[in-house]
Amino acid sequence: MKSMNESLQPIGMSRYGSAERGAGLRKLAAVTQIKWLSISRNAMIMIGPVLVIGMVYACKILYGINSESDFVPFLTGTLLNIGITMNICAEGFIMVGTSIAEEKENHTLRALMTSSITGVQYFIGSILIPFVMLMAVNYIVLFISGISLDIVPWVPFFLVSMVVSLTSCVLGMIVGICAKNQMNANLISYPFLMVFMMVPVFGNLSEGLHKISAFLFTGVMTGMTERLAAGEKYVMSPLDMAVLFGELAVSVLVFLMLYKRNGYEKD
Amino acid sequence: MEQNVLLSLSHVSKRFKTEQALKDINMTLHRGEILGFLGPSGAGKTTTIKIITGQLRQTSGEARLLGTDSANIDASIYEKIGVVSDNSGIYGKMTVWQNLIVFARIWQVPKSRVEQVLAQVGLAEHKSKPAGKLSKGQTQRLVLARAVLHKPKILFLDEPTSGLDPATAVAIHRMLLELKEQGMAIFLTTHNMEEAAKLCDRVALLHDGEIVEFGSPQEICLKYNRNKKYHVLLADDRELELAQNSENIAKIAGWMEGDQVMRIHSCEPTLETVFLEVTGKELNV
Repeated sequence: MKSMNESLQPIGMSRYGSAERGAGLRKLAAVTQIKWLSISRNAMIMIGPVLVIGMVYACKILYGINSESDFVPFLTGTLLNIGITMNICAEGFIMVGTSIAEEKENHTLRALMTSSITGVQYFIGSILIPFVMLMAVNYIVLFISGISLDIVPWVPFFLVSMVVSLTSCVLGMIVGICAKNQMNANLISYPFLMVFMMVPVFGNLSEGLHKISAFLFTGVMTGMTERLAAGEKYVMSPLDMAVLFGELAVSVLVFLMLYKRNGYEKD
Repeated sequence: MEQNVLLSLSHVSKRFKTEQALKDINMTLHRGEILGFLGPSGAGKTTTIKIITGQLRQTSGEARLLGTDSANIDASIYEKIGVVSDNSGIYGKMTVWQNLIVFARIWQVPKSRVEQVLAQVGLAEHKSKPAGKLSKGQTQRLVLARAVLHKPKILFLDEPTSGLDPATAVAIHRMLLELKEQGMAIFLTTHNMEEAAKLCDRVALLHDGEIVEFGSPQEICLKYNRNKKYHVLLADDRELELAQNSENIAKIAGWMEGDQVMRIHSCEPTLETVFLEVTGKELNV
């Protein structure tokens, strides 16, 4: 090791830049960078979006969705539902939750939180990349599913997709805050997956499930895509809005309660 | 508060559900001082660091870090401290460089400082290597590099040389002494008594969550020097243990005049034997 003889003047904002300017954004960017580096190097996480896109594309070809069959709208709707719910649920919960659990496992979360990163910066930094990925995959799945793009209401689709992806990321944060390690995170994700993924996907097969699905944020998304697949126009109903924003609010509230009790990591 | 006091604990106690982890801890840490917190595993060393750094709330008492109540520590305080925990806390899939550069971004430290610290800890040639592939000693040096990247006022080290080879441990000791000379205060927990005696200005011996001795290593050892003897090796290979009295001092002076003394030392106990005497327990447990 070389000598460390030099003055011990603290390095920080005061020395290398104007005092408070951009400090929050800088730290947020650092957390996002860490998350990107850790997510993009985690094959278990990165395989998810690829599988969803691959599955939808493969099914579209296999079932001949572009043919003239009467089943086309039904199959397109089902395919879109599976693709989008898989993306939102499996990817949202797992990508965010597992990434926090991995940080706990490797004790990097503690290092980060004692480095002057605030809870809010960590929260936003943790969901930013997954959120963008969820949104991107939602659009890719929509484009490759074979649905007629002329009838897609782009603004409502963007809005619904955004709120749904955000809710999924917040639920992922709840998974992460509760999980001790990555395996535990997967285990905690399963009940969420059963409800938010299975119910809308099988809503087409059961009237009861279809009714329940209307009260789930993922159900609102699949309800929209079903209509689009059937060639119908989609107009956001008050119930859809209440479900979307209500469940987002409840998720944030539950997260805040858990965070207030133990922070990101319980001692 | 005295200006040089960077950290103070006053009657701090911590109770977990069924266990009293810390009992009435009092101490201060000054600028440019290395304070050793010594005790076996489970004595409460890590709990103390967690309380001071605001990661854990004490049951009673007051902990102040850089003049701020530890319960109210915010980002501005964390920017002035460095923490090396007993677990590495590095991003194994990221390179050595990336591990430092993200923290440099958080603390707004220029890249030149990252290069400098990497060179100081001897990891410059490994900067493109994934951190997960470093040896234990290299990992510990990376963690230390990260902790001093922003030149903190206080450095918290939790068992920094535990399990390291002697050469790496010595290199880390040298680095810590240099940082102390520059004015950094270091709070060091260890169960390595030799390390504590070599590095620390003052040490606190911790047993079952309680400080059983506090002072400079020399003071503590002299306090428990009950034998009061000199150990003398003479030129004719005789080894003698002589009581510390005027008669023996005259005898030794005579041997010294005749160039008969090959080696002489007092027989005060080591920190380890003091700990054993005070607690009845070995340290390395």
